[in-house]
Formats: sequence, structure tokens, C-alpha cells
Amino acid sequence: MFELGPIFRALLRQKVGAILIALQIALTLSIMVNAIFMMQQRSSQMARPSGLDEANLFYLSNTVFGQNYNHEAALADDLRLIRGIPGVVNATQINAIPLSGGGWSMGLQHKAGEGENSIGVAVYMVDDHGINTLGLELIAGENFQLTDIEWRPATSVSWPARAIVSQAMAESLYPGAYQSALGKTVYINQNEAVQISGIVKTLQAPWNGWDGVERSMLVPFQMETRNSRYIIRTEPGRRDELMPIIEKALAESDKNRIIRNVTSLEDTREDSYRSHNALNKILLLVIVILTLITAFGIVGLAMFSINRRRRQIGTRRALGATQLQVMRYFMLENFLISTLGVVIGAIAAVGLNIWLVSKFELAPLEPQLLVVGVLALYLVGQLAVFYPARKAAAISPATATRSV
Amino acid sequence: MLLMKQLGKVFHTGEVSTHALREVDLEVQEGDFVSVTGPSGSGKTTFLNIAGLLEVASSGLFLLDGENVNQQSDSQRSKMRNQKIGFIFQSFNLIPELNLFDNVDVPLRYRGFDAKERKRRIEQQLELVGLASRMKHLPSQLSGGQQQRVAIARALATSPRFLLADEPTGNLDSQMAQSVMALLEDINRQGTTIIMVTHDHGLAQRAKRQILIKDGRVSELTATLHEPLHIVSPSATEHSAKVAGV
Repeated sequence: MFELGPIFRALLRQKVGAILIALQIALTLSIMVNAIFMMQQRSSQMARPSGLDEANLFYLSNTVFGQNYNHEAALADDLRLIRGIPGVVNATQINAIPLSGGGWSMGLQHKAGEGENSIGVAVYMVDDHGINTLGLELIAGENFQLTDIEWRPATSVSWPARAIVSQAMAESLYPGAYQSALGKTVYINQNEAVQISGIVKTLQAPWNGWDGVERSMLVPFQMETRNSRYIIRTEPGRRDELMPIIEKALAESDKNRIIRNVTSLEDTREDSYRSHNALNKILLLVIVILTLITAFGIVGLAMFSINRRRRQIGTRRALGATQLQVMRYFMLENFLISTLGVVIGAIAAVGLNIWLVSKFELAPLEPQLLVVGVLALYLVGQLAVFYPARKAAAISPATATRSV
Repeated sequence: MLLMKQLGKVFHTGEVSTHALREVDLEVQEGDFVSVTGPSGSGKTTFLNIAGLLEVASSGLFLLDGENVNQQSDSQRSKMRNQKIGFIFQSFNLIPELNLFDNVDVPLRYRGFDAKERKRRIEQQLELVGLASRMKHLPSQLSGGQQQRVAIARALATSPRFLLADEPTGNLDSQMAQSVMALLEDINRQGTTIIMVTHDHGLAQRAKRQILIKDGRVSELTATLHEPLHIVSPSATEHSAKVAGV
């Protein structure tokens, strides 16, 4: 009924062009599917929540150059000043900014001692205002008390007795039962005991490419440092307005330091994922170009084939083919070529993915993406051949009796 | 069966209009074998194309089995071609990529016959033209005469009542031409109406009726065995009398 047999047999006798297009479809499918997969992975990485109230957060650097500087008093003054500005929700000193690319990491282990397995964790040093400032959701335990906050001299290597960890970190320490982490003692720096006093739902590490990006901990420290950062949370919609105000207020309140690098968390996120965005755009461009080349290839082959077969098409029309049947012939022919292409392409896509997985530690390809890719290529093929098929259908049956 | 009245066909190329057929009056009865002759460019192919529903007349009336084909859609004309008309072309017009079986199968698929019926008809027709043993061969593996026999098998496969042949022996040597002509005569004897365009006056005279097309006008050269004698324009009648030597 649908002439699949004769079309297939005819293709076997004119196979060079068809095979070339099929290979082009195969190449497009294998690259397209893997490129989309890589894009998806990057997009899902970018879509991960940091756990912070990003829209209303900004931070700044406070670089002290004055001699005999009282860091502890200056920090207390600065935080009091910032928190007192109308529109500010809260503020805290912090040693590292999530997603910024720079920070501290340590290892937590169940047992003290050298050689014990430890799990890497990003460390944020904050005071009792830290959770509220960052906008974190405490899902178990309690926040730090004022009495928990320790002053950490610049030369100190010790760690406080309490810590709040992210749910992912708790899960890593106690797989399948993250709640049981609460109240447990773990060891940092091999031998220093730390009790887990709270669990926050999400808090990402500063490094978005780290496979432990969801593992982090808060420790109750205020630091003595000549280069500290303050992170500030504002009321919704007031961040941009308050950024210069707070910068100016701090700068004017103490002439022994420089306030700089006033940056919103949203800008930090954008910077953090700039390469992801760029790569996604490049991959998208590659997909579009490849798809267009394939589509034009199909159009070119179909037009060539139709021009070569004008008399044959006229003969078919003379023998009773309707315009629709002529169109259907070419669309079915393309369907068969596409089928060869997508079969080879699907095998190549899986092969390419296996290679990418082994070389670059990517996740394996999702089968449904392959199915979507196959359907997309079929659609591209049918859309590309539609115009030539219409041209073929428009060939007059009288062509059968006239010189072409 | 076929009735043309005051039929005309004009081709327009830019501002130039070419009258390919003028005021054609013709009636063809069931079972006729009509040969059409005429000089090159006289309008023979245009006449055949219109008779075979491959082109639409610019003016006049054309009834095929009582149906006014000028008023039919392209799709309706396609179906009518498939159901009622078989074509034989000078260049055979076989599809080179398909073997003989698939070539004869082409119009049968458009008719919508099931696979079993198609196979029966294909084998029957190829048997009729003596090529049943070569149904898996490609057209390029056959001689010209054999290819034309396949084309005849293809034309007859749908059991048309009306066979149109455009120079069916034009690309054949005389022996092959005689053989194909004999086959056409045999087909006509079995009741199929045939209109055959030819340059070969010898073959044309073997038809029951002969018409001449010159300058787009049709004239009857012989009276058919069937009455009545068909209407032709006065100038054509005069011309036909001269050509026929009567």
C-alpha cells in the first residue's frame, strides 16, 4: 500500500546519495544527542539551588591597612553599623562566598586519627547571624548561640566545638539517615572533635564544578584577618539601592581600611556559570548548524533526485498517482533514509557517550534523550523533504510524454 | 466512450500564444482502434495528453464515459486515469531502478489492490507479453521490444477500457514494431479501445480508424467499420480527402 518495498529496492540501486545523507543524519544524531545531554547536565547544574537568598544578598571586601588595628572591635562596630541601616535584614562576616570559586575545605571523619577516611566539606565561618543572613533553612538542630562564637586569631589552627552541616554532608556522613548526624561528634583536622548541632537543607560550596558541591558546614568563628568579607542580606528589592549606601557608610566610618568588590550574589552566580553558559551556547550553535546542514543536504539530494526523475514522476502521475501519492513517495523515501541514519546514529551516539563517560567522567546518556533525538531527526528529515516533495507533486503528468 | 466537441488547447509562453489544438470534434466508440498521424508539431501529443487526462483543454467539451473531465479536480483525473486509461509511451517510461514485477506493480498500487491481487495481475500480464520468466530483471537487461512489452503489460494490468499509445513502435526496429503492433491488435480484439499516435503510415493503416492532425485540427482519414462517420470540421474533411486519395 505504501510502496515501502519498491522504494527500498529502488534505493538499493541508487544507494550512494542515500547512504551519504544517512551518514550525515547519523553524525548529526550522535553529536546532537551527546551535545544536548551535555547541555542538560550543565543546565541542571546551573539550576541547582545554592540554598541562599541570592536575590537579596551582596557582599564586600574589607581590607585593613592601619597598624595596631583592633580587628575584633572594628568587626563588632561594622556589623552593628550595617545591621542598623534601614532595609538591611542581617549581616555577618564570612570567610568565603558560595559559588565564588574560592574558599576553604576540610575533611570530616567519624573516628579521630591519621589514616581514617574523611569526607571533604566546604567550611564557612560565620557568627550566630550567619543562617539568617544567608537565608538558609535549618531543618534540624539549632542555630549557634552567641556564646558559641569564638574569636579566631590569624595564626590559629584550632576548630570550634560545634558545627552546622548541610543535609548533603549529613547524608554523606550517615547515608540513608542524615537526621542521625544531629548531636554526633565527628573529627576535623584528623583529631579535633566537632559536634553537629544543626543541619541546613542546602548550602553549596564555593566550587560549582566540585562533585561535593552540596557538602558544606558552618562553624561559629569570627576571624582576625586583614582581608575579611561581609555578606549582607537586604529586604526584598532593596539590594541595589543599599549596596552603595553601605559601601559609603563603611568607608566613612573607618579610614584605616578600603571597602571594595561590592558584588551581588546574582552576579557571582553568573560569573560562576559563565563558562557553562558559553559552552551551552556553543553546543547549541553546533546542533543548529549540524541540523541545518543535514536539512539542506536532504533538500539538495531530494531536489537532485526529483530533477533526475522528472519523467519518472510524470509517468507515475500518468499511471494514476495523485499529487498526494507522489509527495508520499518522497517522504517515505526520506523516512527510509532517515531510518538508516538514525539506526547508525543511535549506535554512534551510545558509542560516543561511552567514550565521553570513560574520558571525561560524564554521566551515561539517558535513553529517552536518544528517543527524542531520533524523533527530532525524523521530523527534520520530513520537514526538509516536504518542499521538494511538493515540487515533485507539482510535476505535470504530461511530462511523461514530452521531452524533459 | 470519448467525446470531444469544439475542443481547443492554447499554450501561453510569455506574450506568445500557441494554438496546439483547434475546434476538435471527435467521438471514439468502445472497441475502436484509432491511429493518429500528423507531422511533427501538429498537436498529436497534445491531443493524446488531453485524451489521456494528462492535460486539460483550454476550451470546448470533453466527455469520457459521459463525465466532463474538464470540470474534475486533479485528484479525480488521476483516479480516472488509473481506472480507465492505460498508457504506452514511445520511450517505454519504465522505472529503471525497479524490476519488471515492480514496474507493472506501479499502477496497481495506486489502484489500491491487495498484494495477492496485484501479484496475480502482474504475473498474468507478464505472461501475456511473454516475459513472466524475467520478472526479476531490470529494464536495462531487456531489449527495446521487450521493454515495450513490459510497458504494455503495465498499461493493461489495471484492466483499462482505454489504451493510449504514444509512438509505441517509435524506438523499435521494424520486426519488433510488427510484433508490438500485433500485440496491440490482439488487445483491441479483446475489447480494449486504443488510440495510437504514430508516424508509421503502414502501422496507422492497420487501425480501424485513422485520423490526421495538422495545425491543431483533426480530420478523419477513413470511415470506421462502426457507424456513424464521425463529425470533423469542413476544412479538415477536405484535407483528409486529399490525403486519403478519395
